[in-house]
Amino acid sequence: MDVKLLDNSTPTRRRGSVGQLLVAAVFLFLPLAAFLVYPLLEAIRLGFIHEGRASLYWFGRTFGNEILMRQLANGVMLACVTTLLCLILSVPLAALRAKCRFAGQSVLGIAVLLPLILPPFVGALSMKRLLGRFGTLNEILGQLGLIDLSSGPLPPDWLSEGGFYGVAVLQALHLFPILYLNASAALANIDPAYSDAARNLGAGPIRTFFRVTLPLMRPGLFAGGTIVFIWSFTDIGTPLILNYRPLVPVSIFHELNGGDYTGRTFSLVFVMLAVSVLLYWLGKFVFGRPVEAASSKATVQAETRKLGVLGTALAWLLFGGVVLLAILPHIGVVLHAFSDRWATTILPQSYTLEHMRSVVRDKNTYSSILNSLRYAGVSVVVDIALGSLAAWLIVRGRMAGRKMLDGLVMLPLAIPGIILAAGYVAMTVPGSPLQAIGPGGNPFLILVIAYSVRRLPFVVRGVSAGLEQVPETLEEAARNLGASKAGAVLRITAPLIVANLIASGVLAFSFAMLEVSDSLILAQTPESYPITKQIYSLFTSGTGDSVNTAAALGVYGMLLLGGTMGLASLLLGRRLGAIFRA
Amino acid sequence: MTSIELDQLTKVYGAGRKAVTAVDAASLTIPPGEFFFLLGPSGCGKTTLLRMIAGLIPPTRGRVLFGEEDVTRRPVEDRRTAMVFQNYALWPHMTVRKNVEFGPKMRRRPAAERRKVAAESLRRVEMEDYEARKPNQLSGGQQQRVALARALAAGANCLLFDEPLSNLDARLRMQMRGELRTLVKTTGATALYVTHDQKEALSMADRVAVMHDGRIVQVDAPMDLYDRPATRFVADFLGEANFLSGRVTDRTRPARVETDDGVVESEADAPADGEVTACVRPERVRIETNGEGPAANSISARVENRIFLGEMVQYTCTLGSGRLWKVSALSGGRAVAPGTDVRLHFRPADVCLLTE
Repeated sequence: MDVKLLDNSTPTRRRGSVGQLLVAAVFLFLPLAAFLVYPLLEAIRLGFIHEGRASLYWFGRTFGNEILMRQLANGVMLACVTTLLCLILSVPLAALRAKCRFAGQSVLGIAVLLPLILPPFVGALSMKRLLGRFGTLNEILGQLGLIDLSSGPLPPDWLSEGGFYGVAVLQALHLFPILYLNASAALANIDPAYSDAARNLGAGPIRTFFRVTLPLMRPGLFAGGTIVFIWSFTDIGTPLILNYRPLVPVSIFHELNGGDYTGRTFSLVFVMLAVSVLLYWLGKFVFGRPVEAASSKATVQAETRKLGVLGTALAWLLFGGVVLLAILPHIGVVLHAFSDRWATTILPQSYTLEHMRSVVRDKNTYSSILNSLRYAGVSVVVDIALGSLAAWLIVRGRMAGRKMLDGLVMLPLAIPGIILAAGYVAMTVPGSPLQAIGPGGNPFLILVIAYSVRRLPFVVRGVSAGLEQVPETLEEAARNLGASKAGAVLRITAPLIVANLIASGVLAFSFAMLEVSDSLILAQTPESYPITKQIYSLFTSGTGDSVNTAAALGVYGMLLLGGTMGLASLLLGRRLGAIFRA
Repeated sequence: MTSIELDQLTKVYGAGRKAVTAVDAASLTIPPGEFFFLLGPSGCGKTTLLRMIAGLIPPTRGRVLFGEEDVTRRPVEDRRTAMVFQNYALWPHMTVRKNVEFGPKMRRRPAAERRKVAAESLRRVEMEDYEARKPNQLSGGQQQRVALARALAAGANCLLFDEPLSNLDARLRMQMRGELRTLVKTTGATALYVTHDQKEALSMADRVAVMHDGRIVQVDAPMDLYDRPATRFVADFLGEANFLSGRVTDRTRPARVETDDGVVESEADAPADGEVTACVRPERVRIETNGEGPAANSISARVENRIFLGEMVQYTCTLGSGRLWKVSALSGGRAVAPGTDVRLHFRPADVCLLTE
C-alpha cells in the first residue's frame, strides 16, 4: 500500500487539510466506526458478558465443550487440506506459465482465473449428484468397467467422512487462482541469475526448482496461503450446502440463524477472529518475510522455453484439466437446472425449461432475485460515492490520518464474513436501539450496510489505482490556467478515472449478487431473502423439485454474475488485475 | 582443464524481417589454461556468446566443443563450466558456506570433501572467516569474492566470467584485477572473461577477441591488439587513435601514403593500391615547435587545447586539412600554449594502415 506523504507547510494547505479531515470524519470515519468497528467490538463484547458482568464464563463453556473443540480442530484440518490442495494445483501451473511459451498461453492464463468468480456455494448444489454413492462419477466408472454397480459391495461414496473432502475440494477449486496469482508474481520477481547459477553448477531443472526457486517463492506462497487458509477456516456456504456439520462456522450460523444465540456463540466468534488474526500475523510477519535479497537486479531476461506440439498439448491438458475440474460442479448445477428426469445416468435422461420458468413464476424465488438486485444496487451506489471519496483522500489528500483511513477502509477484507455478520447480529440484538433494522425487523438497511462495508475495499482499490495513474501535475496545469480546485477535479481527473469507477462498481455489484455470509445470517424473513438465502432455503426444504429450482436460481445468479463481470472486463481490460492487488 | 572451440556459433532472435542476429558465426579456439577475453561495447553479443558456451542459451547454428567433445546439445548442468555472474547471483537463503558447497554437492561429493574444498576456495579469496554469514550481510566486494570461490570450488573444466567487476567501485576494481588474474593463473584453469572495459582486457588477458555487432573482429594478444589494430573500430575502442585517410602510392616497405596533410610512411604491410586509413596513437606523436621537419611523417598543425589529466597532458590539434588530432605527453615536460603553430612528428613503425 503506497501512501504518498505530501508537504503540509503552507497556510492554505493546512486549512485545506483540516477541511479534508472534517469531510473524512463525517462521511468515512464515522460511518465505518459505526458499522464496521462497532459491530466487531459488540460481537466481541457479548462473548465476555455473563449476567450483566464481565466474565470468562462463555469461554469456559466453549473450551469445555468437547464437540466444539473437535469442530475447531476439524476446521483447522480442513483449512490445511484445502491450502495443500491449492498449492498442488497452483504451483505447477504458475511454474509452467512462467518458464515456457506455448500457443494460447494468454487465453489459458485468463481461463485459470475463472474459478474465482464461480461461487462454491452454488457449485456445491450438484456435488451430491456428482460424487455421491449413486452419482455421476461412479456411473462413469461403472460404465468404464472399473467398478461393479449391479452387484457386490456399495460403490464408494466420494464425499466420505460426511463430505469433508467434498468441502475441501470445492474450496480448493475456487481458491487456487489466488495462490496461482501469488506464485506467478513471486516467480516473476526472482532474478533468473539465481537459477542460472544453480544450473551452471550442476543442478538439473527439478533440483534447481526445489533448492533455489521454491525457497525464494516462499513469501509469496505464504501470503496467498494465509488468505486461502483463513477463507477456508471461516467459510459457511460450502459446508452448509454439502450438509457437513462438524465445523465451528456452521454451528455459529445455526445459532444465529434461529435467533437461538447466547454469549457462547459470540465467544466462538471471538475464538475464530483470534485464530484468523494469529494466522494472518504468522503468515505476514513470521513465515512470509521476504528473503533478504542482496542488492541484485536482473541483468538478463529469463529465457522461456518454447514448447513443441507435444509440450503445448500437455500444457493445455494441465491447464484445461484444472479449469474443467473447477467448473465441473457448476456444469452440474446447470444440468440440474434443466434436467427433468435424472436418476442414475451420467447425463439427465430428459430436459425441461420448467425449473427456469418456475423461478420467475414463484413469488418467493422471483422476489429473491429482485431483493438481491436492490441490496446490491443500493450498496454499489453507496460504495461508489464513499469509495471514490476515500480513494481521493488517500491518494491525493493532505490531511493527517490518511494511513489510518486506508487501513480502516481495507479492514473488511481481513475480517472473515461470518465474523462481521455475527457483529451485525450483535449490534441489532433484541433490546438494542438498532433492533428494528436487525434480522428480526426489516433487514433491508442492515443488509445494504453489510454489503456496502464488505465491498468498499474493492471500489477504493480500483479508484486508487486509477488516481495513481493520473499525475497531479495534470490538475495543477488546469489550476494554473484558471480552473478552480473542484473544477480541475471534475474536468480533468474525473473523466480519466471514470473507467476505473464504473468497473469497480460493476465488480462490487457482481460480488454482491452472490454474497453468502451476510445474506444467510442477516436475512431471516422469507420476504427479505436474497438469491443465496433463497437457494439455501430451497435446498434444505427437501421437497421434490426444490434442488432443481435451487439450481435454476443459481443459474440465474451466475448469468447475472457473468454478465456484469463481462461488462467490467470490457470496460477495464487488462487493468482488471489492479483491483485484486493486496 | 579443457580447450574451448567455437565453430560458426550463431544466435538469431526473432524471425523474418524482425530477426536480430546477436552473434554472427563466431569461431574461436582457446587452448587449455588460457585466460581469454571477449571485449566489446554493450550489445555486441559477448554475453550472449558466453551464455551459449555455458549452455544457458541454445545456439541457432554452430557448435561448441570442449576438447574433442561436441557439447552443443548438452544441457547446462552437464557441461561442467563454472560461471561468475555480473550480479554474483549468491542465493540469499543460503549461507556463504552452503553457496560455495553447492557445486560439489551437485557432483555428489561426500560431506567431508565438500567442506574441505569449500574452505580451501574461501581461503583462496580471503573469505574463510565469513562462512556462516548470509550474502546480504556482505559488501559488494566480499560478495564478488564469494562468487569467485563458489566457481572455483565447483572443480569445473573452465571458468566463465560475465563482467564480474562492473558493480564494484573504481578502486576495488583495479585491486581485484590483479588478484583475479593471479588466482585464475594459479589454478591453471581455462577461463573466458567478458567485459566492455578495455583496460581490464589489456591488463588481464592472455588473448583478446574484440566483438562488434555480433561478429568477432580481431583476436590477438593485448599488445598486438593495441599496436596493430585491424580496423578503425578496434583502433578506436582500445585507447584513442588519430586517423588520416589517403592513397597508397608505393607498397614497398616503408609504404608511402599520400594524404591531404602530407606524406605518411609506414612500416606496416600496405594493402593493395587504393584508399587506406593511417592510424597513429596519441602518445606516439611528438610536438615540435621549431618550424622545419623531415619530408614524411611530419604534419603542420595548430594547437587548439591543452588538458591536464594528472599523469598526462593531452593536446588537441587542428591539422591543415581541418582534422583534429590528439597528442598525449607525460606531464612535467615543456608545455605548449594553445594557438601555437607546430609540427607533429611520428615514426613509420608507429603507423598502422587500415582498410576498414
